[in-house]
Amino acid sequence: MSTPLLICDDSNMARKQVARSLPDGWDVDISFATNGSEAIEAIKAGKGDVLLLDLNMPVMDGYEVLQAIVKEDLPTMVIVISGDIQPEAHQRVTSLGALDFIQKPVNKNKLTEILSAYGVFTAETKEVALEVKPAASPSVSKLNLPPVSAPEKVDVTKKQEESVGFLEPDLRDCYQEIANVAMGRAGDLLARLLDVFVVLPIPNVNLIEVSELSMALSAVEVNESTSGICQGFIGAGVSGEALLILNDSSFQDVATLMNYNQTLDENSELELLMDLANVLIGACLSGVSEQLDMSFSQGHPVVLGQHRKISELIATNSARWRRTLAIEISYNIENYPIKCDLLLLFTEESMKTLNNKIAYLLD
Amino acid sequence: MSLETEQINELHWLMEMLHTIDVGLVVLDRQYNIQIWNGFMENHSGMLPREVKGKELFSLFDEIPKDWFKRKAESVFLLKNKAFTIWEQRPYLFKFQNYRPITGSADYMYQNTTFIPLMSATGLVTHLCLLIYDVTDNATNKQDLECVNNELAILSQTDGLTQLFNRSHWESCLQSEFKRWCRSRSPSSLVILDIDHFKNVNDNYGHPVGDDVIRHLSGIIKKHVRETDISGRYGGEEFVVLLADTPLENAQIFCERLRKEVAQSIVTHNDIELSYTISLGVAEVDLSIKTYEAWIECADSALYRSKENGRNKVTLHPKQA
Repeated sequence: MSTPLLICDDSNMARKQVARSLPDGWDVDISFATNGSEAIEAIKAGKGDVLLLDLNMPVMDGYEVLQAIVKEDLPTMVIVISGDIQPEAHQRVTSLGALDFIQKPVNKNKLTEILSAYGVFTAETKEVALEVKPAASPSVSKLNLPPVSAPEKVDVTKKQEESVGFLEPDLRDCYQEIANVAMGRAGDLLARLLDVFVVLPIPNVNLIEVSELSMALSAVEVNESTSGICQGFIGAGVSGEALLILNDSSFQDVATLMNYNQTLDENSELELLMDLANVLIGACLSGVSEQLDMSFSQGHPVVLGQHRKISELIATNSARWRRTLAIEISYNIENYPIKCDLLLLFTEESMKTLNNKIAYLLD
Repeated sequence: MSLETEQINELHWLMEMLHTIDVGLVVLDRQYNIQIWNGFMENHSGMLPREVKGKELFSLFDEIPKDWFKRKAESVFLLKNKAFTIWEQRPYLFKFQNYRPITGSADYMYQNTTFIPLMSATGLVTHLCLLIYDVTDNATNKQDLECVNNELAILSQTDGLTQLFNRSHWESCLQSEFKRWCRSRSPSSLVILDIDHFKNVNDNYGHPVGDDVIRHLSGIIKKHVRETDISGRYGGEEFVVLLADTPLENAQIFCERLRKEVAQSIVTHNDIELSYTISLGVAEVDLSIKTYEAWIECADSALYRSKENGRNKVTLHPKQA
């Protein structure tokens, strides 16, 4: 009898990646869920004896799913697959009853190893045709699993043309997932640097005019006083800038967390901002470069401004900027009112290369 | 040329380039002992590679704050992440001389630095590479620009003769004070004053003496105002003082003090000695005043009455509400 397996992730790309990383010849009956509440429905409908679960999702996140499973005593074995690689995240999910924790992007060997270790998958059951049944419950998305041998191709040329006007949902999803993993790396370093738990958001991916940039920043209020650092990066065919914007009211807490004993002035605030920028921008870029298999050179950071409104911070160069692919990641620190916005801006020209790289990832 | 000699040559050239490149290159081990020291570092520090090799960085360069440097470096070792420092946060790491000691305006070389983790074969960060960039020209240009902009900002707000605010800047201050009053309703008074018979001074003694009188009066005003008061030169011999957080009665005390001091003082210009008087008008803002221009008119009409009633006087605009 085939094992009912449920993959729950808000990203289409991530769902596909997980489905393709399942052990060869495993007789499973796969269903998909795009958020936690769909997953709970599916488990109740008997479609999830094994659940491969993402953490950061809209509607109902992975932690809440785990809590609901414990509370309602639902019959499922959960393995978490997440970009959030903070040790504390790992600890929290295992204490909520997850069997294990796999870091994104998911790796076939690692997944096979863990599934075998818990006896969920045994190598003997093989050579059974992969059968995909559309999920019966209406709340579970009726995605067709891409066959392992011939993965669904993304029509890159078509998307390139369209990308000038708006971002295709599929592409946005890919960028979001890449940002998600990169953000997890940076969040992990931030958590280790500050010794806190970093609440990871769902990254915001948009193709925007630069004039819209200050409005697109969701974490920072229009009239709040902010300080910002900007750093250029370039790799073969891909270039852009990373912006780190910190709310001025956050400095005191950051200083405390980083054991800065001196009284805060403009100079020590700049030190803090630079330390944060070094860690977050560096980790995020290396997360992106690892996934896309390319390396970036980073220019020297430049101070955009201190104690200014967000529109003033960004206005300085706006005449030269045009349309940009903006990935916004708003970090929150648990129990502290720290607001920190990391923006990765890619030039319009970069999108051609990026889209090619992504098509390769999906293959 | 065999492949091997070609490779050796390439390697040799690379080494030569790294040695002569105009960027400082330093490699440190985990204990901050110097391992590599290129030509840039050698020439600017005056220390040969063999003199510094194996020595602790901080023992040779006491201008490098140990705690600060370790904080940056440890995060590079630990997180395997690059780190950058810019001259705005710390002007230099190594206190080197300006590259242009004769025509350059800076006393030392401004530096941006990059910390790069160097990994061993086992994937551990065992060493750290420091890149030192000379950014003196950038830094001095930016500082000069900021300086000039600040000066320009002050110049554009200041009256050249008296160093008080000029009319346009003072008016914008009055405008924001009026707006503030609309919200807070805490009392605020406006004083307008004018030198009596100033035309006679100019006609009898000439304009240089007239200028001296104006400077003299502005000196007295500066002496009497508090830091929060905003004084300006409104016209030729006309001055304004905005007394924040001051009701009419207190403004009157201020005006009387000013009037008396002026009447008692003597201005000397070479062998000329002369005395002069001023007339003043005061208006406290109240609900009957709807705009900042109307506020000026109220104070101005009080000043007019001082003139009418014989000069060297203070007149209060009666409060309406």
